Amino acid sequence: MPRIKNVKPLTASWHREIEDHVIDLIWSRDGRSLAAAAVSGPITIFERETGRIVHHFAGHRFGTSSLSWNADGTVLTSAGQDGKVRWWDTLRGEELLACEGGAAWVEHVAWSPAGEVLASAAGKEVRFWDRTGQLLSSFGDHPSTIADIAWHPQDKVLAACAYNGVTLCLPHQPGRAERLEWKGSSLVLAWSPDGRFLATGDQDSTVHFWIIATRQDLQMWGYPTKVRELAWDCSGRYLATGGSPEVIIWDCSGKGPAGTRPISLRGHENFISALAYQHHGAHLASADQDGLVLLWRPEKNQQPIAYARADSGVSLLAWSPDDRLLATGTESGHVEVYVR
Amino acid sequence: MTTHNSGRVPVTVLTGFLGAGKTTLLNRILTENHGKRIAVIENEFGEVGVDQDLVIGAEEEIFEMNNGCICCTVRGDLIRILGNLMKRKDKFDYILIETTGLADPGPVAQTFFVDDEMRSKLALDAIVTVVDAKHIWQHLDDSNEAKEQIAFADVILLNKIDLVTPEELDKLEARIRGMNAATKIYRTRDARIEMDKILNVGGFNVARALEVDPKFMEPEYPFEWAGVYLLQRGEYEWIMHPGPDPTMNVALLPLPEASATELEALQMEAVLLFSEKEHATAANDVLRPEKKLRELRLAEGETRFNIHIDEPGNYALFTQHHPDEFSAKLQSVHGPLAPLLTREYKPDHEHDEEVSSVGITTPGDLDEKKLNEWLRELLTTKGTDIFRMKGVLSIKNQEERFVFQGVHMLFDGRPDRPWGNEERRNSLIFIGRKLDRAKLNEGFRSCLA
Repeated sequence: MPRIKNVKPLTASWHREIEDHVIDLIWSRDGRSLAAAAVSGPITIFERETGRIVHHFAGHRFGTSSLSWNADGTVLTSAGQDGKVRWWDTLRGEELLACEGGAAWVEHVAWSPAGEVLASAAGKEVRFWDRTGQLLSSFGDHPSTIADIAWHPQDKVLAACAYNGVTLCLPHQPGRAERLEWKGSSLVLAWSPDGRFLATGDQDSTVHFWIIATRQDLQMWGYPTKVRELAWDCSGRYLATGGSPEVIIWDCSGKGPAGTRPISLRGHENFISALAYQHHGAHLASADQDGLVLLWRPEKNQQPIAYARADSGVSLLAWSPDDRLLATGTESGHVEVYVR
Repeated sequence: MTTHNSGRVPVTVLTGFLGAGKTTLLNRILTENHGKRIAVIENEFGEVGVDQDLVIGAEEEIFEMNNGCICCTVRGDLIRILGNLMKRKDKFDYILIETTGLADPGPVAQTFFVDDEMRSKLALDAIVTVVDAKHIWQHLDDSNEAKEQIAFADVILLNKIDLVTPEELDKLEARIRGMNAATKIYRTRDARIEMDKILNVGGFNVARALEVDPKFMEPEYPFEWAGVYLLQRGEYEWIMHPGPDPTMNVALLPLPEASATELEALQMEAVLLFSEKEHATAANDVLRPEKKLRELRLAEGETRFNIHIDEPGNYALFTQHHPDEFSAKLQSVHGPLAPLLTREYKPDHEHDEEVSSVGITTPGDLDEKKLNEWLRELLTTKGTDIFRMKGVLSIKNQEERFVFQGVHMLFDGRPDRPWGNEERRNSLIFIGRKLDRAKLNEGFRSCLA
């Protein structure tokens, strides 16, 4: 690994093991707790500084697929392959509710930025729930199974991507959904923090940009494999993408990334498996299928500034809301937290 | 190398028309005590655990990529579901995918070639097609899906044999063979079959398929018989009697040596010759050793054709039909001549079928560059019509056998074990629609070093 010579290791804070492949890993908005879901089902909540297990929930039969914290960190919601959206009371450590997701596999849950509406996606249907778990509306007119969902950072709009395009849904006006058509299979979705761009990573080894103001789209080619890793920096200027052993970063300032040459960060030897930009700072964390984690400051320098090694491929990276801690989750079920 | 899938989990794809017996077979696999932990993906709703197995309902979602290339058509639902299953610690030993009755097997098979994640974790073992022996006839004539399911299959179960006569079965089997010469065919009742005939058969592993059944790629020939004669300078007669046809095509070619190897080398030339325009030849006309296809026209009773030899030596006579069918014989002035060597060939089926197989087998080494160019051109222009191809090739200056197989335009090949003392040769088969036998033969031959 010559490329990472003279690079300091990241300082490990704590390390725990869960039952299986870490399928989701997220910090509560107050940063006091970290929740991890195992692909086989169980959900664990850890205390921020020590990694002490605060709660351990059974999760979903046949497997858990996604987690989302509510605004004040009192409720963790999960989606799973038992067809349910489950609500967990994180103060008392018990299950509050189980709602029907609408299909056998509920693949995504996401609380809106203001914390008022919960969206869930199962099959071709998005369901919207209020804070008490009442069904607000549902939208089932997606062209195929929804691959990913993401709330607009300020607006009350949810974007859902599926084969043949992105749908923008309004929870209170399900009839007003708008379709951004594109013939292809989008796997992941990410809004720029300023809401100007919506990016998708695609099955056909491309990255797609939608410029929201004009509804125009751009496609970026040349990736060696499908792109499932997208991360915007906090300013909305840079989009870091995987789909390669190099981290490819598009500069969206000015007229946007069309026709520009992206920044390329070299240091990984296997395909990138996770990317995360800090919430407020300029650091980017990247990880690969061999378990190498690298920390970068891409604007300043295209050399990594710190590294860590996980025992197996890294499935997730998550910065704490204050950007001080970096959590990693691996294929073999390890959760490790590093101090920046 | 045999079945080295380097830890990849094998996948069997089950196809067949509605009512053919797919579900019966599936239940049989699940209830059989095979000691495997199987995940089944079927096209019905509901997810249930059956003992240690898991049955997942999935709705077929075919993703066509933006570039409109047929080989980039994949099953999005499988990528999603299998991607998730393969993350679990308690991995499954086997994956079974049941397709809908009208499914084109292409996208399912391609999913395991095109998607890097699928390719690294899963290995397509075989496509198994269940055929309703009684009702398939109506579909064979009018349904592209039925033809494709047969053409793609590594294994075919002729099911419901209790509903048809043995003669009908023979007829059906012959017709299926005419479409797909490389498939294994089993006759079943209530889809009763030993598990090792359908699971882990290595249909997508050419090396293994050849080891199990070396004859599976034996090609079809436009002639049924060849005889090698040692002839002196002088006059001979080829004498025929009325047979099943009023004419018979023959070619007489010089052979350097009366050996099976030499005869085999000459076969390819004969195949090409037989695809050319025949020259009408009537009784008492002269037949010479030459690169011409002769159409012998039979008269009433005995018909004699004169053979004129200038150069003494060995000659091979290739005949469209077996000489016995016409009580035919070669005669010198001293009486009938016995051939030094004969060979019978698997007859070319009546190719009224739109879907067929073309097998090519020839000794010799291939020029890698020429081969790559030819294949690239072939797959670009004909990839849509080539459903499957498999083969073992002998590439010049390479010690190992090169094995390959493909689905439409997707091609997967790698060096296999060394040839060692085995004779270096090339065997390959194409299964597809509107295949041009002569052109494929000619193209392949042009790649010889």
